[in-house]
Amino acid sequence: MKEDLMDIICCPLDKHDLDLEVEERDDEEILSGQLVCTECGEVFPIEDGIPNLLPPDMRDEAPA
Amino acid sequence: MDDRSRVGVRRTYERIGDHFSKTREFAWPEVESFVDDADGAGTALDVGCGNGRHAELLADVADRVLGLDASRTLLCEAQDRIGPRVSLLQGDATRLPLRADSVDLAIYVATLHHLPTAADRRASLDELARVLRPDGRALVSAWSTAHDRFDAPADAETGFDTTVDWTLPGGETVPRFYHIYAPAEFERDVAASGLTRRSMELSSGNCYAVVEPERKVPY
Repeated sequence: MKEDLMDIICCPLDKHDLDLEVEERDDEEILSGQLVCTECGEVFPIEDGIPNLLPPDMRDEAPA
Repeated sequence: MDDRSRVGVRRTYERIGDHFSKTREFAWPEVESFVDDADGAGTALDVGCGNGRHAELLADVADRVLGLDASRTLLCEAQDRIGPRVSLLQGDATRLPLRADSVDLAIYVATLHHLPTAADRRASLDELARVLRPDGRALVSAWSTAHDRFDAPADAETGFDTTVDWTLPGGETVPRFYHIYAPAEFERDVAASGLTRRSMELSSGNCYAVVEPERKVPY
C-alpha cells in the first residue's frame, strides 16, 4: 500500500484514525507492517502490500 | 463448512478464487455504461472488487481507485491484473474501513447477494451511504428472482436464500451462498438504507440501482 492511503482509511470497527507502523518498504510501497487503531487499539496487519482491514471475527483465526 | 456466514463466504472465495477469477475476464456492460456516464471523479471505490475487472474501468475516470474485497486470493489476482493503478484493501462490506464522505464514485456489484443476513445486507448499504460524499454516486447490483434459472416469480415480495455450486477444474463442487433478491425487496432495502435511488432497472437477471446518499443534514 502507498502511504497516502492513510488519509482515507480508518478502523472498520469504530472509524477512528489508524497509526501506521512500517516494517518493510520498497520505494513508495509499504510491503509489510501494521495499522493500529488510535482509539480501540485493534491491530490490522499489512501483508504483501495489502492491508488486512477485516474485523477480527472475519479473519482466519476466528472461530467459524 | 459453515457457508452461511460472512467468514464462510470469504473462505469459499479463498478456495475457488484462482479458478473463479479466470472466468471473470470481462466487465459487465451495465457497469461500463455507469462508469462512462461519470465524467471524472476524485476517488472511486469498488466494493467486492474480485479480480479487479471493474476497478480497472474506474481507473480510467478517477484520480484514485480503491478496490476492497474480503478474499485475499481474489485481491492477489487483482494485484496481478491491475497492479499499481488500484489501491487494494482486504475488508468487510458491512464494516468499511473508510472515512465518511470520502468517495465520489462507487460500484457495489454482484456482492450484496453474498451477505447471509438481511441485517448484513442493510448494514452494507448504510456503510456505502456513509462513505459517499454528499454529491457522490454509486451503482449497486444483486442477482434477482427475475433470472431465468430461478422458478420464483419475479413479482414476489421477498427473495430467497440458496447455494449455487461452483465446479473446480478437477470436478469438485464448492457451494456458494446467495440471497436471490426479489426486485421489490431490493427496492425496499435500498429505500430503507441511507441511500436514495436515482434509477433502477432489471438487466440480465440482476437488479441494478444507481444511488446517491440521502441528503446529509449538517449539525
